Amino acid sequence: MNFELSEEQSLIREMVRDFAESEIAPSARERDEEERFDRVLMFDKLAELGLTGIIFPEVYGGAGADYISYAIAVEELSRVCASTGVTLSAHLSLGANPIYLFGSEEQKQQFLVPLAKGEKLGAFGLTEPSAGSDAGGTKTSAVKDGDEWVINGTKIFITNGGDAETYVVFARTDKDAEKHHGISAFIVEKGTPGFSFGKKEQKLGIRSSPTLELVFANCRIPAANLLGEEGSGFKIAMKTLDGGRIGIASQALGIAQGALDEAVAYAKERKQFNTPIANFQGVQFQLADMATQVEASRLMVYMAAYRASAGLSYSQSSAMAKLLASETAMKVTTQAVQVLGGYGYTRDFPVERMMRDAKITEIYEGTSEIQRLVIGSSLTR
Amino acid sequence: MKILVCIKQVPDMESKFKVNAAGTWYDTADLAWRMNEYDEYGVEQAVRVKEQVGDADLTVLCIGPEKVKETIKKALAMGCDRGVHVLDDNLSSREPYEIASMIAEFATDKGFDLIFTGMQSQDRGSAQVGVLVAEILSMVSVSTIVEFSYDNGVANVKRELEGGVKALVQVKTPALFTCQLGLNTPRYPTLPNIMKAKKKELTSIPSTDLLKTEGRQHTEKMYFPEKTGGGLVLEGDVADLVNEVVRILKEKTGVLAR
Repeated sequence: MNFELSEEQSLIREMVRDFAESEIAPSARERDEEERFDRVLMFDKLAELGLTGIIFPEVYGGAGADYISYAIAVEELSRVCASTGVTLSAHLSLGANPIYLFGSEEQKQQFLVPLAKGEKLGAFGLTEPSAGSDAGGTKTSAVKDGDEWVINGTKIFITNGGDAETYVVFARTDKDAEKHHGISAFIVEKGTPGFSFGKKEQKLGIRSSPTLELVFANCRIPAANLLGEEGSGFKIAMKTLDGGRIGIASQALGIAQGALDEAVAYAKERKQFNTPIANFQGVQFQLADMATQVEASRLMVYMAAYRASAGLSYSQSSAMAKLLASETAMKVTTQAVQVLGGYGYTRDFPVERMMRDAKITEIYEGTSEIQRLVIGSSLTR
Repeated sequence: MKILVCIKQVPDMESKFKVNAAGTWYDTADLAWRMNEYDEYGVEQAVRVKEQVGDADLTVLCIGPEKVKETIKKALAMGCDRGVHVLDDNLSSREPYEIASMIAEFATDKGFDLIFTGMQSQDRGSAQVGVLVAEILSMVSVSTIVEFSYDNGVANVKRELEGGVKALVQVKTPALFTCQLGLNTPRYPTLPNIMKAKKKELTSIPSTDLLKTEGRQHTEKMYFPEKTGGGLVLEGDVADLVNEVVRILKEKTGVLAR
């Protein structure tokens, strides 16, 4: 067993950390306050560095690196800006990966290559007003009409919505089938007539990442844009989310590490009672608990990533990693605010943003409750 | 055209340093390592020249223990063609002349047209190695460069002198340059290039093959400066305070002298 990063994984961490600290971090607070997505900074520059297609083979415009490298990249971006971390995670895990896993060769050439190269931004449309954790309750419909599919319905809470060019969208194609079997996946491009964007959500955290509604009104797409087999949409969504959980777990890990770093630095500087507060055992115990939880999360996240790269089953592992890392992110960021005290509660320090950003990691791409269901059912089946 | 860039692996400067048991260098345990910042500018400049002239062959050389290979890989990922690792486990006890001798021994008869080094290392900071290499190779050298351009065997460079003064220098190759911070903007090694770096040639040479000299200086002692009192706190009427600050700045510093 080897716990050391490979040379290339270490280099990727150094590169992404340097980039994140010098280019992403300086505007993180401002973008959060203005709820502003900066496409050039948060996506185009990632493309220049080869991060937008990390895990895909070179023939599809990717870099051919492993899932651990991907986890490290999302972690390092999220350490300074969780919005940038989720932009990459939603693009790669949710937008591009289902096309890589289930697309035909033609679909990969047409849609995956520009996504992997970062010429196009990807997104994923599964959630609906009445189909959240219960994805089988999808009401958006797709009806075959000649050599086209006609999509009608609404998707909500779509990360990268509006800015993305390529969407993997789920719709019911068989009303009579048992609920999980009548769903299919489609690739829909921005600009297709009948496809528009609804309201932009105003959120507690990850405010620099756009979250929009997708509206389909008699949206006609070519029959060739059906992803995988008709009726296999639920399976595609679940498999995609297994991978997506590694991305969100990495995001949560990065947020937690960022908050820990801030808390440690502050505790060494801040003097009360004529000594740095880091000298107080009460503060040290808090920092010790935070660091221990962060390290445990990291081991689980990298383990899930390792399993995904090694071709082993990773559904349970990624659910565990996401559960632990997201709950750790919430705890550690809350404790970091406590260590910084009144200053931590202000926007002059980044820990309040990190605390707001952390909350969503317990909710999206499967709530903590759903992760427990996934883990529980894999233990007891 | 052949280019050589010499780099060093140094601790991350945000590390917490301790003096080692022998009291002659810092303790290397539990440090994070990276490329000497000055050398990153050297690598970037070398890669830019290679991209400009097209048919150049760019070698990166680094001396140190096994782990410096990671830093060589970064240089390869930034665009160097081949790496040379001079394996030496006693780098911290070598004096600048020994290090320069090893590099010069390697470079002899290899026909390098351009050699780039950092102006100094962030850990030892002697600022001697680059110019000593040039001296041993009887090659012209220009130190502390902040701008560089090359055309057809001639380099035009800007040097930084004390007090903000600059000098323009023109030299014919072969020549060596020591690079100052701000010379350019070092690129990030992209992910595809990190992946490609592992397929590039990386040769290891034992330092004993290159070391033909003996050290003539050694570090007696390394220590942190003794802690002196905190800052000066002035109290009293604002008008008096301003006069007092001006007096101190004039007498103790140069900021008001110019």
